[in-house]
Amino acid sequence: MNHYMVLKKKDFNAFIEKLSKKMKVAAPVRKGVKNFAFEEVTRGDAISRVSLPTILPPKKYFMPQRETIQTFDRAVPRWNSVVSENDAIVIFGVHTCDLSGIQFLNAVMGTPPKDANYLARKANITVIGLECNDYCDAYASCKAMKTHLPSGGYDLFFTDIGDAFMVQTGSAAGETLAQETGFFTTADTGEQKKLGNIRKKKEKIFKDEISVKYANLRTVFEKTVQSEVWEDIGSRCVACGNCTNVCPTCYCFDIQDEIDLNLRTGRRVRVWDGCQNEEFAKVAGGENFRRKRGQRQRHRYMRKFAYPMEKYGTYACTGCGRCTRTCMAKISLKETIHALGEEAKS
Amino acid sequence: MGKPRVAFFDFACCEGCQLQVANMGEDLLAVLGAIDVVEFREVMSEKGEYDIAIIEGSITTSRDVERIKKIRQKAKVLMAYGSCATIGGVNGMKNNFELDHIRRYVYKDAAKYFETIPTRAVHQVVPVDYFVNGCPIYIPEFVKALKCALIGIPYKVPDHAVCVECKLNENECLYDKGLTCLGPVTKAGCNSWCVNHNNICYGCRGMVTNPAENGARDILEKYKIPMPWVENKMNMYNKVREHDEKEEAHGKKC
Repeated sequence: MNHYMVLKKKDFNAFIEKLSKKMKVAAPVRKGVKNFAFEEVTRGDAISRVSLPTILPPKKYFMPQRETIQTFDRAVPRWNSVVSENDAIVIFGVHTCDLSGIQFLNAVMGTPPKDANYLARKANITVIGLECNDYCDAYASCKAMKTHLPSGGYDLFFTDIGDAFMVQTGSAAGETLAQETGFFTTADTGEQKKLGNIRKKKEKIFKDEISVKYANLRTVFEKTVQSEVWEDIGSRCVACGNCTNVCPTCYCFDIQDEIDLNLRTGRRVRVWDGCQNEEFAKVAGGENFRRKRGQRQRHRYMRKFAYPMEKYGTYACTGCGRCTRTCMAKISLKETIHALGEEAKS
Repeated sequence: MGKPRVAFFDFACCEGCQLQVANMGEDLLAVLGAIDVVEFREVMSEKGEYDIAIIEGSITTSRDVERIKKIRQKAKVLMAYGSCATIGGVNGMKNNFELDHIRRYVYKDAAKYFETIPTRAVHQVVPVDYFVNGCPIYIPEFVKALKCALIGIPYKVPDHAVCVECKLNENECLYDKGLTCLGPVTKAGCNSWCVNHNNICYGCRGMVTNPAENGARDILEKYKIPMPWVENKMNMYNKVREHDEKEEAHGKKC
C-alpha cells in the first residue's frame, strides 16, 4: 500500500468508462458560465480536470442536502430508523482542500454519538483525489491552511505529470479498484522525478495567502471577539446562507417531520441548515440568540478557527475559498483574517 | 368525525392558484381523499358550510372587507394562499397611485361604478392561520401546509432567503450570469422553483422579515444595478408590505 502507479492519459477515458459500468462515478463537470459541480459521469471527457472548487463540496455524497432518517406510523408507537440504501460510488477529482474537508467531517461524524447515516454512506464511497498543480483562483488560501498537498483522506490520488497521471494509493480498496481496471502500471524513476518536479514547482507557486500565521489563527480569533470588524461584516451580510451551504466542513442540519395525506404514516427528514439563516438560533417565543448578522458571521468564523481547535485539535477551514467566492456581499475570508490579525497586534 | 369541509374562495386575483390545485395531478386524488371540497369555482359551484376556508386574492373593495370578515367568522381555520392573499401581490401596484386617478385610468367613464380601496393582504384585514406564499403557489408547499391544517399543527413559512434552497439545488448563481435576482431577500419555501428553470426570482413570496437593507444596497452598487430599478422590481409583488404595521409581527405569525 501507499506506492505509486501510473495511468496513461490515453487510457483515462477508458478507465472512467469501465469504472462507470461497475458503479456510479461522480466528478466535477462544468455548470453554467463560471461554475462547476460534482455530477454523475460515464465518460472521462465529460470531466473538468482543471476546475474551480465545485459549487457544493463532495460532502453532499456523505450527507445529502435532504435525507430521510426515520419513518413512523402513528398507529404503532415506534420510530423506524432508516439508514438509506446507497449504491457504491466513486468520487473522482477531489482536490486536496476537499479531501481535508472530508477528513474533518469523518472526525466529527465518527465521534460518539456517531452519525449512522453518514458512516453508512461513507462505507460505500471511494475517493479519488486530484492534485492542483497551480492555484484555482485568488480566493483560495490552501497553503495557509496547509491543504495544498495531499495528506490522506483518499483511496487513490492522481497528479497530472504531462502525458500520464501519477497515482498514489491511500487504501487497500483504492489499490484493488485500480488493479481491477487493468490500466495501471508501476511508476518508473522518470515518472517519480516528474512528480518531484511538480511538487518543487508548487513550493514556489503556493505562498501563505493570509497575513496571520497558521499557529496564531486561534488566538487571533479568541482575542477579537468584540472587534468592530464583526459590526462591519454584519452590516454588509445579507444572510443568504451561501457561505455555510458551500462550506466543506459545515454540517448543521434541521430535522423536519413530514406526514402523508393519510395523516397516519410519515417520515423524519434532515435538511441542511446553517447559522446564517434567520431562524437558526430562534427559539419558542420568538427570541433569537443571534439576531444580528454580525453575530452570526462571527459564529461561523469561530466554528472554523477557534472551537474545532479545542474539540478536535484542528481548524475547520480548508482554504478552498468557496465562502468568499459565493458571497453576495463580497465578504472575504482573507480580508477578515487580515483585519482581525492587525487588531490583535495592538 | 367526517372529513373536514374545505371551501376555496377568491378575491382580487387571477385564480391561477386554484388552477394550480386543479392541475395538481396524482396528488389531487390523495388530497380529495382527505378533505371534502364544498366550494371551488374553477371546477364546481356549490354553497354550503365549511371548516377550512382557503382564500385566494387580495382585498381591494369595501365589499371584499365585509365578505372576508363573514368567511372568517364561519371558518374554523383560514388559509391565505398565493401572493395576492398573503402579501398583496401584483394588485399592490395600485397602491403606487392616487386611488381616484388609477380608477379612472382603468375603468374610464364607468369608474363611478367601481368603488376601490388600497389593496391589502388577507392578514391585514382578518387573522390568518396558514400562509402559503407564491405566485402561483408551489404545490408541494400547499400540500404540506394543508396537511398541517388537517392535523392541527402550525405551518411555518421559511424566513430565510431563496438562495438557501437554490444552493442546495446547486444552481449556478444568476448574478454570476449577469442577471439580477431577488432570491437574496425573498422568503424560501418554493425550492427555488424559478431559478431551477433558469428564471430569476421575482420576489413573489415576499421579503424575509429581517432584510439587510445596507447589505442589499452594497450588492446593488457592486453589480452596478440602479436602486429605482430594483425598487420597481421589488414593488411588483411587495408594495402592500407598507400596510404591515410591524414586519416582525407578521413574520412570527407565519
